[in-house]
Amino acid sequence: MSLLASLDEAARLRVIKELADEQSGEQTGILIEALNDESWQVRRAAVDALARSCRPETLAALIAAFREQQHSLSVINGVLQVLSLAEIDVITPLVELLSAHDADLRVSAALALGDQNDPRAIPALIGALRDPDTNVRYHAIEALGKLRATEATDDLLGVAESRNFFLAFPALEALARIGDQRGASRIVPLLENDMLRVPAVETLGQLGDEQVVKPLVELLQTGRAPASSIARALATLHERYERSYGEGEFIADLVRRFIDDSGIRRLLDGLDETHGQDVRALTLIVGWLHGPTVERALVRLLGDTTVRREVLAALVRQGARVTRQLVAQLDAVDAETRQAAAVALGRIGDASAVPALIRLLEEDDDLAITAARALAAIGDRRAFDALLHQLEHPTSAVRQAAIAALNSLGHPALPKHVKRLLSDSNRLVRESAVRIAGYFGFEECVNLLFERCADDDERVRRVAIEHLPYLEDERVLPMLASALRYETPQVRAAAARAFAHIEGGESLPYLLTALGDPDPWVRYFAVSSLGRHAFPEALAALSQLAQYDPANQVRVAALKALGQIGGMRAVAVLAPFTSCGDADLERTALQALGRVGHPDALPPLLAALGSPGIERRVEVIEALSMRRETAIVEALQLEVTSSHEQRVKQAAIAALLRIGTAEAVATLIALSDDRACREECITALASLDASKIEWIARGLEHPRTTVRCAIVEALARMRSPHASEQLARALDDAEPAVRLAAISAFGHLSISHAEYKLAHLALRDSIPAVRRAAQVALQQKVR
Amino acid sequence: MQYPSEHVPISDGTFTLLRNLIHERIGLYYDMSRRDVLMDRLSPRIIELGLGSSLDYYYLLKYSDTESQEWSYVVDVLSVPETYFWREMDQVQALVEYLVPKLVAAKPDSPLRIWSAACATGEEPLTIAMALNEAGWFDRTAIEINASDASPRAIAKARQGLYRERSFRSLPRTLWDRYFVERNGVWQISPEIHSRVRWAVANLMAPHEIAGFANAPIIFCRNVFLYFSQEAMSIVVHHFYHCMPAPGFLFLGAAESLLRINTPFELQEIGQSFVYVKR
Ligand SMILES: C[S@@+](CC[C@H](N)C(=O)[O-])C[C@H]1O[C@@H](n2cnc3c(N)ncnc32)[C@H](O)[C@@H]1O
Repeated sequence: MSLLASLDEAARLRVIKELADEQSGEQTGILIEALNDESWQVRRAAVDALARSCRPETLAALIAAFREQQHSLSVINGVLQVLSLAEIDVITPLVELLSAHDADLRVSAALALGDQNDPRAIPALIGALRDPDTNVRYHAIEALGKLRATEATDDLLGVAESRNFFLAFPALEALARIGDQRGASRIVPLLENDMLRVPAVETLGQLGDEQVVKPLVELLQTGRAPASSIARALATLHERYERSYGEGEFIADLVRRFIDDSGIRRLLDGLDETHGQDVRALTLIVGWLHGPTVERALVRLLGDTTVRREVLAALVRQGARVTRQLVAQLDAVDAETRQAAAVALGRIGDASAVPALIRLLEEDDDLAITAARALAAIGDRRAFDALLHQLEHPTSAVRQAAIAALNSLGHPALPKHVKRLLSDSNRLVRESAVRIAGYFGFEECVNLLFERCADDDERVRRVAIEHLPYLEDERVLPMLASALRYETPQVRAAAARAFAHIEGGESLPYLLTALGDPDPWVRYFAVSSLGRHAFPEALAALSQLAQYDPANQVRVAALKALGQIGGMRAVAVLAPFTSCGDADLERTALQALGRVGHPDALPPLLAALGSPGIERRVEVIEALSMRRETAIVEALQLEVTSSHEQRVKQAAIAALLRIGTAEAVATLIALSDDRACREECITALASLDASKIEWIARGLEHPRTTVRCAIVEALARMRSPHASEQLARALDDAEPAVRLAAISAFGHLSISHAEYKLAHLALRDSIPAVRRAAQVALQQKVR
Repeated sequence: MQYPSEHVPISDGTFTLLRNLIHERIGLYYDMSRRDVLMDRLSPRIIELGLGSSLDYYYLLKYSDTESQEWSYVVDVLSVPETYFWREMDQVQALVEYLVPKLVAAKPDSPLRIWSAACATGEEPLTIAMALNEAGWFDRTAIEINASDASPRAIAKARQGLYRERSFRSLPRTLWDRYFVERNGVWQISPEIHSRVRWAVANLMAPHEIAGFANAPIIFCRNVFLYFSQEAMSIVVHHFYHCMPAPGFLFLGAAESLLRINTPFELQEIGQSFVYVKR
């Protein structure tokens, strides 16, 4: 019975807090005991206290507690928390614990190692796969999965092959998580096992290659596994092939090649029985197939919003064969179905749907818009008159859809009609006509466009003014100048916007005058146009507005414009706004500083990187990505490695990609060593343009195997001859894992750069697995 | 729903700003996956206004009052006015058969107030009025039905009282014949029923706009929280609770529930349907 046990919670908490300030050996014992307290608050306080006073004696006591308090997971957790808070190495003592006498203790150690995200634990965990205690083995398997331990693939496959359900199941899950493709061929035989079949299907979806399509389809046909799990696996495989190699279609081809009627029937039955997420996978697979039953099933799914995208894609694949059925759906009761049918018809592009789509123009706004878009996509001139008629529709979005459709039909009679409509008695028609005439700049309409700048209707005038800058006519400038001065606020604002598109310096004096306009939106757009032109003469006036304009939006616009103009003076105005307390002003100032090339702009930006909010940090990172300095690359690297926020990490990786200097690329290469962001780094590297392949390929000399494997993956995804040339170098890598990765990459590429080397590996490599893989790759290419 | 179309381009950052602003002002929430839906709705307006970018539009909204014309426009285009007569009728039945008798008996002298809080084009409050009329309640006691929606366009349609065939998918034919007359392919609701409802434009996220309605003991707020974030839903529901008398009864749509937010309302089964009750 100890001191603490007799006290109530509040008192225990108080004692702990007092002890935290004293620190002597005896107290450490009490604190450690408190790690086992029933109240989480007491446990928490004890962790804090111990972490603060962590001296060598404390450490010894903690380790001892680790060994002695065998059965208490909360003590172990507490000790781990203390150690990691005190930044003390926890891996070594945990690895030691894996060989402790007590099995529960070994279980706890395996569990804890799985949570540490430290690859040093991997060898010991692999060792633990042979532990005499099944529970320890179980947790070691899970931990290896969490650590994405590629090194453990072979051993885990061994566990799966043991067909011991209790262990084989988690082993398959771990293998799926690790995602090492080499395992697939050894998992296929497990499809024969009644108990492991479904998890094996799932794992194959995660890490199989094209070789697994056939066994999966065959299994579907036997009906011995649910169609939905097989569909999910095939969909995952397809998605991975599409993402990594742009070869999703290849998987679809294979499925078509292997499937027979019984397989199709099972998929369709599956569709009838399934709900939710699985419907999506089934729809995707069904969409790869053909035949009347498939078509009917797809049409029936039109109204289901959860699979809208898949159904549309599938129907478009079926092409004109489904036009009649889709046209029938245009009269369905349910609005979703009608919309989807119209969209599908537009994408299929079969002109026989045109009359039905024209009728749809008379329906509710949303349908009318979709119909206009579909008609535009089909491009059949029979729709011309009906679309012209829509130009007087009361809803502006419908008019706009009609305008866009008319613009894309390119009917030869359009200029003639538009000329007539420019003087129509209906103001909506005049406005629509101005938009079309302004867009095309029809010769015969120019005079009428100028007339519309004096229309009775304000909206018509506004739209006419907006379209003037695109005409080559000497009347443009005086017309805009007079509008900016004498018009209504709305039209003045339009003129201010239009001045952004007048080439040369002519607009400067007009825009400067407009900065004194009484309407804030006129000032806003005048400021924006000055920024677009980046007139240095406007600097003083803009600095004034940025600081003193009563309307916040004008100040925001002025900050942005200062960034566009740039220079030391702009920086001096911008810097204080990065922490002014107004979100819009702060954000805009940061972005503006990012744009300004001047070195003075860097310190305030780097300082803002320490802002507390995630949103703000992401904004700063984006602003930094507009510049190229070394200090920025370093700061971004730190963000990736030290931030706990996924969004911040991603933004920093995206920024490095955007910066794209040799240094930034080298940083992305180095960061690919970190399991937590490897995939993002690979994706980023693979999306760099071809001129940077050499920089990327430098990563093949990186000392870390994981990095070299990542570079292989990135180069493979670039799918260019030059990248493949560099990739071939990896076939000579000293590390078998890298050679294997390169061989498997060549499975998806042309091997002209590597044929000789592959043949060499197939015959002479010292590692049997490498020889086998090279042989398979060569055979595939022959086939 | 996602349809590719000519969208005004929008960066991730501007999208986040815009959707947060819309969320804050009208409660509707768009996550990244529904970005196209939002831009599908707003792009025509941005083009119509001749604005150079979606950021300009963000500032235009940010620096306009929520009562302004621009926000009305936003609500109109984002509103999903999908509704029909006799929808989720079990709840209306529970109202007519259990709640109205009980509440009228408790306060025989004061008019009974019912509020349809996101009535779209009016089918829901008119359904309530028809059902009460069928049961003879209007002859027996004073009942006040208020109906509101944030979308001015929807309320304008509700005031007209003209309906197309799609609104009648669940209404029994006899009632259709009894309460509607056809004019050129559209149906006009009988003036007697229509005049039982008072219409208003009101935003659920603006406490002062709904204050005059939320003190009703019966609130129908169905199929609108589907589009709200949990946070916005929680704000509105708490406001209802605060304003409603006790006992008060709140009806939500079948697909909606207060399960995941913390509220003092109590879920009860009344008749064939579920009701949130303030006791
Ligand atoms: C699907 S309708 C629901 C109609 C009816 N209650 C029913 O269940 O049939 C949703 C309505 O919510 C309205 N709405 C959306 N946000 C709103 C808000 N913040 N305040 C009031 N109404 C809102 C929309 O304008 C739309 O008309």
